[in-house]
Amino acid sequence: MSARQLTIEPTGETIPVAEGQTILDACLRAGLYLPHACGHGLCGTCKTQVIDGEIDHGAASPFALMDFEREDGFVLACTATLTSDATIEADMEDDSDARRIPVRDFVGLVEAIDYLTHDVKGVRLAIEGAPIDFQAGQYVNVTLPGVDGARAFSIANAPSDSTHVELQIRRVPGGAATGYIHDRLKLGDRVSFSGPSGRFLVRKSRGGPLLFLAGGTGVSSPRAMILDLIEGGCEEAITLVHGVRAQADLYGRAEFEALAAAHPNFRYVPALSNEPDGSDWPGERGFVHDVARRVCGGMFAGHTAYLCGPPPMIEACIAALMQGRLFEKHIFTERFLTASDCSERPKSPLFRKL
Amino acid sequence: MTAKKLGLKQRYAHMTRGLDWETTYQPMDKVFPYDTFEGIKIRDWSQWEDPFRLTMDAYWKFQAEKERKLYAVLDAFAQNNGQTNLSDGRYVNVVKLFLTGISPEEYQAHRGFAFAGRHLRGVGPRVAAQMQSLDELRHVQTQIHTISHYNKYFDGIGEFPHMHDRVWYLSVPKSFFDDARTAGPFEYMIAIGFAFEYLLTNLLFVPFMSGAAYNGDMSTVTFGFSAQSDESRHMTLGIEVIKFLLEQHPDNLPIVQKWVDKWFWRGHRMLGLVAMMMDYMLPKKVMSWKEAWDIYFTEAGGSLFQDLARYGLKVPKYADVATAEAEHISHQNWAVFYQYTHAAAFHTWMPDKEHLDWLSEKYPNTFDKYYRPRWEMWAQMEKDGKRFYNMALPQLCNTCQIPMAYTEPGDPTTIAFRESRFNGDTYHFCSDGCKDIFDGEPEKFAQSWLPVHQIFQGACGGPTVPDVLNWYRLNNGADNLDYVGSPDEKLWNQWMAGAVKAAG
Repeated sequence: MSARQLTIEPTGETIPVAEGQTILDACLRAGLYLPHACGHGLCGTCKTQVIDGEIDHGAASPFALMDFEREDGFVLACTATLTSDATIEADMEDDSDARRIPVRDFVGLVEAIDYLTHDVKGVRLAIEGAPIDFQAGQYVNVTLPGVDGARAFSIANAPSDSTHVELQIRRVPGGAATGYIHDRLKLGDRVSFSGPSGRFLVRKSRGGPLLFLAGGTGVSSPRAMILDLIEGGCEEAITLVHGVRAQADLYGRAEFEALAAAHPNFRYVPALSNEPDGSDWPGERGFVHDVARRVCGGMFAGHTAYLCGPPPMIEACIAALMQGRLFEKHIFTERFLTASDCSERPKSPLFRKL
Repeated sequence: MTAKKLGLKQRYAHMTRGLDWETTYQPMDKVFPYDTFEGIKIRDWSQWEDPFRLTMDAYWKFQAEKERKLYAVLDAFAQNNGQTNLSDGRYVNVVKLFLTGISPEEYQAHRGFAFAGRHLRGVGPRVAAQMQSLDELRHVQTQIHTISHYNKYFDGIGEFPHMHDRVWYLSVPKSFFDDARTAGPFEYMIAIGFAFEYLLTNLLFVPFMSGAAYNGDMSTVTFGFSAQSDESRHMTLGIEVIKFLLEQHPDNLPIVQKWVDKWFWRGHRMLGLVAMMMDYMLPKKVMSWKEAWDIYFTEAGGSLFQDLARYGLKVPKYADVATAEAEHISHQNWAVFYQYTHAAAFHTWMPDKEHLDWLSEKYPNTFDKYYRPRWEMWAQMEKDGKRFYNMALPQLCNTCQIPMAYTEPGDPTTIAFRESRFNGDTYHFCSDGCKDIFDGEPEKFAQSWLPVHQIFQGACGGPTVPDVLNWYRLNNGADNLDYVGSPDEKLWNQWMAGAVKAAG
């Protein structure tokens, strides 16, 4: 079965929709939030206008979607399926900081492999052909020989270096793709990837202090974002809390410390959650959210926060931020999911994206 | 170069700009006198995200079309004598309970949202409350029209607005809404917008609408579908309200928590009527009250409060007690109505064997042990010509106004009694939840209009049961008593005999 293409205005993003898949399901799976409630065509919350293309209304209730609305091209995203490529206008936040950059396919030559820690490798790919245009914080989908499906990895370098893509990859125990990168990838190999993807970006238009909370290799996006901000002459206060388990897991410290020394508006706070008591570690100890609370005095109002890391870290940070009076509108997250994170807890409709 | 196309949100912002003008002839505080006394602090009304972006002209067009559809179905139902296709004549008692107990509260909700819409100074909530106010008014009208068809054939429906203000058990939902409507606009929004329309609405409407579908009441089902497209807007408003209050100021948290605790418990008590309806009054059962509670409160509410915990809001006080009561509440309520069937505007009956077995299966922990023996004894008494009626007026809980028939948490054979002293008088309660509510606002609840007290004070038409029934406009011998032997039953049996004859 071939997938059809769905274009979503006003952002212009294009996503694939499988045969029989609803518009809502396709959007949610692509990380695009559409308002919805009942999920089966009764309430009308997900009403959306089709600008172009043919659809099947499915089981939309005649009370939730009237005949005159159908004639005007409205559909219920939770029941409508595509019978041709289509364009919809959805009730989505128009995000002035997000650029529309088409996704392209690339081939990168492995130019360097750094042993960042015992289980994290830094892979530097030199792009063959036209350079990549991306926004700091975005990711690429990497395809590896013998590994089914693509894997998403955040770009760790600033967009100013458009001829390279740097990835920081932790070995997931038993993981096929990360296992391949750690065990078999070597200098001079060619790696296929596509991108850029994702809407985890610095909302520069907001102004005000920026707070980056990163766990493990979740620091890769914040690194790109911070390098990009500083290159651009950003004068707002920037704080990065990077949490790992122990000193052996910490990387990038020298670079961030040098950056902090050169730029007084940048504060770097590495935090260890599982460092043995009595070790020589002079810095912060504890989980990212606790350390963030400590360094910010418990009050986050006025900041914009960027959270990147494993789901439990993100969850704990959201709670800490909200108790410190920073709410959904000012919190942006990138969850690092592995196959084992698939069973997420049931969600209430209280939050749209958190 | 063409101008960049506006998003839906921006377009709506342009269409509604200036609705929140600052008044100049009078100071804003005089124009909006009620949005400060509750202690809620709003720093910036413009932070309210209008989740609907519905303009009034679109609203009217949409609702008019919806109602045309609904009335077409109602006409068809009437023309085809849809009432004869019900599962059983007993089912109509569910409709009676709905029209007398729920529909007048739609009207109260209409009044309440009109008040909130007038007195909240933010333009977003004002517009949303205005639309919900209109929704509720439409709902009461369409419900009356839907059910008026049954009034041509069945007893107990015709005097519903009069009964709402007088009949003892209808004071339970009436006092619930009276309490909400006499609160400030913010408490009203949490009470009805959040606790009722969001947290508990599925426990109210899903049982009635699924019950209607299972029992052949297509007119009520159609009404349900029609209303559901409004309910999602109401639920969204409830969610927006609680988020907005919690985000605006940290001082709002303890106030909101107190309201959530209060209105959860009040809602839980009122829903006892629905519990009884589900477990006892539907000839064809949908699911048990316990199952509905597990799905719609424990699971859905659980994920909601997990998310609300990020704001520091806790699960409502006594939610655990309410969950434990889900094993008992329908049985205890049905026992009350069975004993007082002579004073109720719908019919009662003892469950037959098949029904008893269903209850035993659905309530393995409690039914056989505590309730089945009582039902079997009462059924035997009926057979022996000694049908049990309770002729003593019951003591009422001063908060929920339900007869004091509920049992102690963890001890289903002991009736729970709580009391408080206020200004030299003693007030009685069915539970810790109801006592806490009184203790929080004794000046308010000391004024409760308690039906039993009013009868004793001579305010209800006289001292005897017929006097009071007359004052209720309850037609003694037709509207009340058991289904068996009622005019309803006689009519139903005639229809069924006719159908058999026609088919034969």
